[in-house]
Amino acid sequence: MLSPYRVLDLTNERGLLCGQILGDLGADVIKVEPPGGSPARKLGPFFQDQPDPNRSLYWWSYNRNKRSITLEISRREGREILLRLAKDAHFLIESDSPGQFASLGLGYADLAAINPALIGVSITPFGQDGPKASYADSDLVILAAGGPLVLTGDDDRAPVRVSVPQGYLHAATDAAVAALAAHHERCFSGLGQHIDVSAQQSLALATQSGILAAPLDADQYRRAAGGVKSGAMTAQLLWPAKDGWISCTFLFGTALGVFTVKLMRYLAEHGWCDEATGHKDWIGFGAALASGAEPMSEYHRACGILSSFTSSHTKAELLRFAIEKGFLFAPVSTIADVIESPQLRARDYFREVEHPELGRSFRYPGPFVKFSESPIQYRRRPPLVGEHNREVYVDQLGMSEPEMQELQQRGII
Amino acid sequence: MARLPLEDVKILDFMWVMAGPAGTRMLADYGAVIVRIESPTRIDTARTLSPYQNNQIGPDASGLFSNCNAGKFGLTLDIGNPRSREIIRDLVKWADVVTESFSPKAMRAWGLDYQALRKIKPDIIMLSSCLMGQTGPLASFAGFGNLAAAISGFHNLTGWPDRAPAGPFGAYTDYVSPRFTAIAILAALEYRRRTGKGQYIDQSQAEASLHFLTPALLDYSANGRAQIRAGNSDRELAPHGIYPSRGEDQWVAIVCRTDDDFGALCDLMKRPEVARDPRFRTLSDRHKNASALDEIIASWSRELEPREAERLAQARGIAAHAVQNSAEFYTDAQVGHRGHFVELPHPVYGKTTVEGPRAKLSRTPGQARRAAPTLGQDNQYVLEKILGYSEQQIGDIAGSGVLG
Repeated sequence: MLSPYRVLDLTNERGLLCGQILGDLGADVIKVEPPGGSPARKLGPFFQDQPDPNRSLYWWSYNRNKRSITLEISRREGREILLRLAKDAHFLIESDSPGQFASLGLGYADLAAINPALIGVSITPFGQDGPKASYADSDLVILAAGGPLVLTGDDDRAPVRVSVPQGYLHAATDAAVAALAAHHERCFSGLGQHIDVSAQQSLALATQSGILAAPLDADQYRRAAGGVKSGAMTAQLLWPAKDGWISCTFLFGTALGVFTVKLMRYLAEHGWCDEATGHKDWIGFGAALASGAEPMSEYHRACGILSSFTSSHTKAELLRFAIEKGFLFAPVSTIADVIESPQLRARDYFREVEHPELGRSFRYPGPFVKFSESPIQYRRRPPLVGEHNREVYVDQLGMSEPEMQELQQRGII
Repeated sequence: MARLPLEDVKILDFMWVMAGPAGTRMLADYGAVIVRIESPTRIDTARTLSPYQNNQIGPDASGLFSNCNAGKFGLTLDIGNPRSREIIRDLVKWADVVTESFSPKAMRAWGLDYQALRKIKPDIIMLSSCLMGQTGPLASFAGFGNLAAAISGFHNLTGWPDRAPAGPFGAYTDYVSPRFTAIAILAALEYRRRTGKGQYIDQSQAEASLHFLTPALLDYSANGRAQIRAGNSDRELAPHGIYPSRGEDQWVAIVCRTDDDFGALCDLMKRPEVARDPRFRTLSDRHKNASALDEIIASWSRELEPREAERLAQARGIAAHAVQNSAEFYTDAQVGHRGHFVELPHPVYGKTTVEGPRAKLSRTPGQARRAAPTLGQDNQYVLEKILGYSEQQIGDIAGSGVLG
């Protein structure tokens, strides 16, 4: 879909996913790495636990459909080569600290001077400007700053993050949306522009709009693992199954209460509770708890009934209930459950990607959507360090072979 | 006013609740003209969800709804009423893109599936978004993003190893998949621009969101290892944690990325002997003795307010930040500088606040242009200005009850 376009990807681990999305959509993405390889290649886990720049599974995760060249852009000749590449590129993505590229003479203004149609994308923890623009950062730090962290975890312990780093992925996907919007505009104006993404702001979306509580003068959300606190009630969301856990939305009110009505009637019909409990006004139950018309112990009793039902069934059985009866149940899947998922298999989701240098293939998550006319293709496995130096420098930029070798010896390439 | 980047893009939006509308909201900020169809009888669940403006409950009080729908026009339409067909047909002719997030089969039952729409407009782009995708044994599995997050593995990877999974906060895939919705629409528009062809896009919110778990999926595929929740520990870094601060439920995130960071932290805590302690000398020592080290850091951080700990640590180049709730985020100097929140006039509440666009475009910046529509707010505007119906036609339509 983006096959006419070339992307220079100079990101570190903060921004890799943005370029991969453009690559999945068909763009020619050139990953520009410092000689020796991107620092993101040092991030584990590693294939067979052998630390090696070409075996980082973190690297593999976000560099499919890219080519790799090495280039020392902090040296004058390296900078000049980058400017030559930028002259006919359509997008340039970077995720260094604000001002870093400008200090090398590679800021957006420098690039736009030679290629006014270039779309420059910067992905940073706090944005290009402001009092925290130069803050030291990490996944945990931006999660703390952006709002989702305080809401996540058990209420009697410290807030907790998703164990697979998430923070920058939110920013990188926002960056991809903005880059494509700017591209759409460029098709009319012929002009590029600079895009400035702050991970802190991107992460606010992961609060379910709870971030608006203060400006709207509303109650703040609080964390309560497996449940959400609202007034005196902590709504339980996680329930035991025979072989693990399930998530169940057991709530009240006009929108969600209808599912609870269905569920409680079923439980009464099948002897898990008495008729009166089964036919209680579950729509109005939340309001009744809030007003004190129903005691909180009644909520806990209902939770007990549901728990005895869920813990007598396996995750797979409960999922069948969800599909056949429309209960809001979902299994808490392990990674193995996800990989073995009959649903994902039926949709042919996973892609086996060949890594010829390792003599085997690996199972990658498949296309992020299914396009009927222009399906996403996994054309290239993640590149080895500098794998496409010759292709890019000699075949594309027209460097001579000795010229390239000389630059290699001097550590520019 | 500067041109907005998507000014020429017209979207007929049947999506509801959170994941879908949050995706088209991004396009509205960049200028797309979006007509959102709402059922006059079956209220959008999002309208019933908190946070509520001034803590009042009401169909237009939901901050979540207003955040997901700012900038869109709202038309109420009873799709079950045959009279709606003609209006929908005219809107499809008007639109570049049609989006929907019902469970599969609903659009077909109404005669509004892709095959039907392309008969009306051959180059239409249609995107369907649902939890698990349009096909497969779980196609009809419906619900909210917390369920998709559980079934996709996020829950089991979030929380403490000695406890039941905590899961990410709320409907997690409803925060991840909207970005992919917007990306897919923009890519399809680009493809249509060059080839003249529309297409159908089948988005499984679970499949899109799995791209945020790729390292764990590859660890299983490559090494046979099934990762599980690990609290706040990190495979690369130590110390790496959330530490208690002064005050109720006050915390600070502190991360040492290098040995130098760790030396600077010991210095800041006025505990130089900790840096020399053989238990903490290298990263792997610090990993092994993480709980002893965390206790030392906590005994320091407990005496400070989170912002003070953040300021002191950042002054020495150590990655640290107060763990912020909405009130703290709202008064964060950086958030204020970036203009994250946008105040908008509101027909019921006088004014309201939403989040602005998260990415800043230098030449054609996006903006939240108007508050989310109240139920049926733009019926007249859509029928008159967008569809060009005559006053009499509009009167007939209103009289037929199809608008609710």
